[in-house]
Amino acid sequence: MKKFWNKRIGVILALVLAAVSPLILQRPEVISRSGADEVLVVITPHNETIRSEFTEAFNSYWQKKTGKKVYVDWRTPGGTSEIRLVLDSKFANANGGGVGIDVFFGGGDYIFEKMANLGRFEKLDVFSSHENWFTGDLAIPQNYTGESYFSKEKYWVGVCLSQFGICYNVDNLERLQIDPPKTWDDLSDPKYFGSIAMADPTKSGSIARAFEMLVQQKIHKSLAETRRQAGETEEMRRQRAIGYGWANGLNLIQKIAANARYFTDAATKVPHDVSQGDAAAGMCIDFYGRAYNEKLKKADGSSRLQWIAPEGGTSLCADPVAVFKGAPNSKLAQGFVEFLLSDEGQGLWNKRVGSEAGPSRRALRRLPIRPSVYTPQNLADFTDPEVKPYAAPPQFIYQPEVTGPVFGALRYIIKSMCIDAHHELQAAWVALVKYDMPEMTMTRFHDVSYVSYVKAMGEIRQKLNSGNQVESAREAKRMTGIFRRNYKEVVGLAKEEATKQ
Amino acid sequence: MKRGKAVLITFLVTFFFGVFFLMPVGDVLKQAFIDQEGQFSIAYLWVVFSNPIYLEGLWNAFALGVMSTIVTFFIALPLALVSYRWAFPGKKWLTVLILAPLVLPPFVGAVGVRHMLGVEGALNAWLIDLGFMSAAAPTDWLGAGKFWGIVLMNALHLYPILYINILAALGNLDPAMEQAAQNLGASPWTRFKRITMPLCMPGIFAGAAIVFIWSFTELGVPLVFDYTRVAPVQIFDGIKDLSSNPIPYALVAVMLAVSVLVYAVSKVILGRNKLGFSTKPKANLQERKLKGLQGGLISFGFAFVFIVATIPHFGVFFLSVSSDWYGTIFPESLTLQHYGEGLGHPLVLGSIKNSLLYASGATFLDVILGVAIAWVIVRSKMWGRNVLDALMMLPLAVPGLVLAFGYLSMSENGGPFSFLIGANGSPALLLIVAYAVRRLPFVVRAAVAGLQQSNVELEEAAMSMGASPSRAFWRVGLPLIGTSLIAGAILAFAFAMLEVSDSLILAQQAEHYPITKAIYALLSTLGNGHEIASALGVWAMIFLGVALVGAFALVGKRGGNLFRF
Repeated sequence: MKKFWNKRIGVILALVLAAVSPLILQRPEVISRSGADEVLVVITPHNETIRSEFTEAFNSYWQKKTGKKVYVDWRTPGGTSEIRLVLDSKFANANGGGVGIDVFFGGGDYIFEKMANLGRFEKLDVFSSHENWFTGDLAIPQNYTGESYFSKEKYWVGVCLSQFGICYNVDNLERLQIDPPKTWDDLSDPKYFGSIAMADPTKSGSIARAFEMLVQQKIHKSLAETRRQAGETEEMRRQRAIGYGWANGLNLIQKIAANARYFTDAATKVPHDVSQGDAAAGMCIDFYGRAYNEKLKKADGSSRLQWIAPEGGTSLCADPVAVFKGAPNSKLAQGFVEFLLSDEGQGLWNKRVGSEAGPSRRALRRLPIRPSVYTPQNLADFTDPEVKPYAAPPQFIYQPEVTGPVFGALRYIIKSMCIDAHHELQAAWVALVKYDMPEMTMTRFHDVSYVSYVKAMGEIRQKLNSGNQVESAREAKRMTGIFRRNYKEVVGLAKEEATKQ
Repeated sequence: MKRGKAVLITFLVTFFFGVFFLMPVGDVLKQAFIDQEGQFSIAYLWVVFSNPIYLEGLWNAFALGVMSTIVTFFIALPLALVSYRWAFPGKKWLTVLILAPLVLPPFVGAVGVRHMLGVEGALNAWLIDLGFMSAAAPTDWLGAGKFWGIVLMNALHLYPILYINILAALGNLDPAMEQAAQNLGASPWTRFKRITMPLCMPGIFAGAAIVFIWSFTELGVPLVFDYTRVAPVQIFDGIKDLSSNPIPYALVAVMLAVSVLVYAVSKVILGRNKLGFSTKPKANLQERKLKGLQGGLISFGFAFVFIVATIPHFGVFFLSVSSDWYGTIFPESLTLQHYGEGLGHPLVLGSIKNSLLYASGATFLDVILGVAIAWVIVRSKMWGRNVLDALMMLPLAVPGLVLAFGYLSMSENGGPFSFLIGANGSPALLLIVAYAVRRLPFVVRAAVAGLQQSNVELEEAAMSMGASPSRAFWRVGLPLIGTSLIAGAILAFAFAMLEVSDSLILAQQAEHYPITKAIYALLSTLGNGHEIASALGVWAMIFLGVALVGAFALVGKRGGNLFRF
């Protein structure tokens, strides 16, 4: 017993030592709340690296400008969805005043536009104090590749750009004997079954936009290829082509979704799972793709994780910033927005660690929004100088009037057709692959007439826009029911058709 | 005890529970029952019941709950019985080690599992090395596992809850009962079936009820397996949906109702104490020493459960010291860099202090409330005490996000809970209350089991000797349920330290973060976020382990059979 005690004390001492190690290793904060002259409260879904780099950079900027030290109080309840819930709850109890937060930083234009419409933002000073950023040849465009870069009413402004693309695992593709994907279409190859990591369009505006672009691309192609039939007016041809392209887009989404492992809103989950080989390819935002590629780079320069922007099918969306109405420190908040758009703030997004005005610990690998900062001097310090968002003209012109009105409906359709009916969709796909994609059954599988372009523009949109939640829920149920039934029937039909042949 | 006092205690605990649980949850769930015109409506509920996807999700959640509880039972019961009856080589360490699932940190636990069981994970690498698997076609365990994978993972995570409760119940048994049965010629199986099991039933029921509701409403494990057609995942997805529709809240209401119903039914069927209670044992059962092959086999069994149950822990550990870990059994090269970066982060030290404050405050509150509530449920004859009993399970069944947003909305400026927010915005009191409410079932269940097993006649005897009812309770009743209470408090503390949703939503300023939110914050570091967060996760496991072992050592002998350390 005595001996045992001694052994135990040894182990416990070691554990206690481990337990107090944070005391020894502790690094002080750059600026603590008590040591600061001013406090800026920022709510954000941005990652820790962005938060710490911007805390430092903003402080040196602000001290140079005003001589004051700022403590940045980051509020991070989670991703964009949690932030929306927190803000809804706070504003519901705010009685028309502020909510004790100065700035909303990052999260995609969709939620910013929603908040602006609810009257939660103050107008931004940068639009008047730095008019040159918004006028002339090198101005931030209001609209680019189908995305808004600042609010027309000047409530929010984008500060950096990002883009959804495809990340893939080189080893997995080799094992599955698939060529590296170049377009969204490539992800519909049944060899990918069960190994595609998808982003969830119902939880993020920018992901939903990526899906919209995929459909737009198909519509664009169809418009170019569809010829006028006898007796058809140009308008009739156009409508027919759009309807056809819409269906093609949905069919492509169906096939990719059939290959999908899951739909997630956790931004890092996709690149992480792909880098670990749990998924072969996935839909991933550019800077995470680049960061993982860099992290996994071997001595010979190869990396098992690659990221590409699929040809023709992706838009560059802006990550905005806005100042809340009733902000406790509105002047400082406006100063922060100004900093984010200044040369210093913009450079930080893509400069190398240690370069002039670059990040101090880690490169952020994102793209600044101001066209005027893509100068040869700056590009020399950039981590991704080859990516010039404004240099190459967009591969196709986004037509907002075509899919813009059904943006919300598209999300609903994808949810019903692919996410809620995922089990059945996968079973149908397995059957189709097993029996070598019999033609008639394939047509059945691809039957999206219930959610055709005409219906989406008409009754589906109306029901969703009516604001009647019970009715939207019923409509969603109906849609899911139809797709589930269809997919279930496909399983039987595939076998039947194959045996007949 | 006087009726007046019983009424007062019942009133106080019901008031606390009503204000700090029913009110915030009701505040969130009311949107499931109020239509857009502000009228009461069951239309949303009807949508849930008429949608086959949701029904399937509910059924799957129920099936997961039942199967997980059964598998948990078959892991926990043998472990508890064996450790109660026999001494075997390494017992002192093994009985502590198998509690390891209690210290698994959130977020990184799931990452750890993926690194161990993923396609290019350690398990596959090992099987390929041994020649059992082809490198060209590795098995996708997580992708293929789904239902049974979740059941197994749930069971391996939750068995300590049942184990501790059964052990506490066994500790309250009087060995004389079994000895008497043995003298009368009962076989070991008969003794187990007729004496041990029925007498331990309160403890088994206490643990099993928690395990069932936990796995019925479990969110994390199904997400690891990407199993989406299950109610908790549907709720989580729905709440986060941009279109903010009220259906997920209606689904929460249904889940709560099912939880209460299942609990009430199983209580009627299983919760009856057929043999009455045993007196407090005069002596603990003398453990029989097992040596040689028998002892070795038992030790092996314990070690095996430990190893399988700590797959996620090992995953987190290896990840925390790896530069890259992919397609190999162990990481390619080891580094301590992530520890420097993670543990040295300005957030960390403060978050440790905060977590300790929040979790111990919550445990303290839980013990007081738990005893009071258990007393009302078991000892008083108050009307409606069974309803109170069933309600006490609800905090386990409510999704974390729902309760957290309930608190958030009530603590905003001018809200009824705004008094819980300190002058500098400190959410300490709010989080203590939130954690306490969420972990209350552990203490209530344990205290109820203890009271059911202990003999009320002892208290009555004290009173007949002139002790006041409260003195009798403090000096006689309470010490008798000490073991059970400690069991409940340990579980409450451990799980309060690891609480996720309340921590993410309610701890808003960095200086008030608990350790779980610090892990979450570091997880998003670009590049090596998973590794840094894992380093902090490993640290949290060690720290919580030290705290628990410290608690056992403090409790020592008084813990009776719970931890004969």
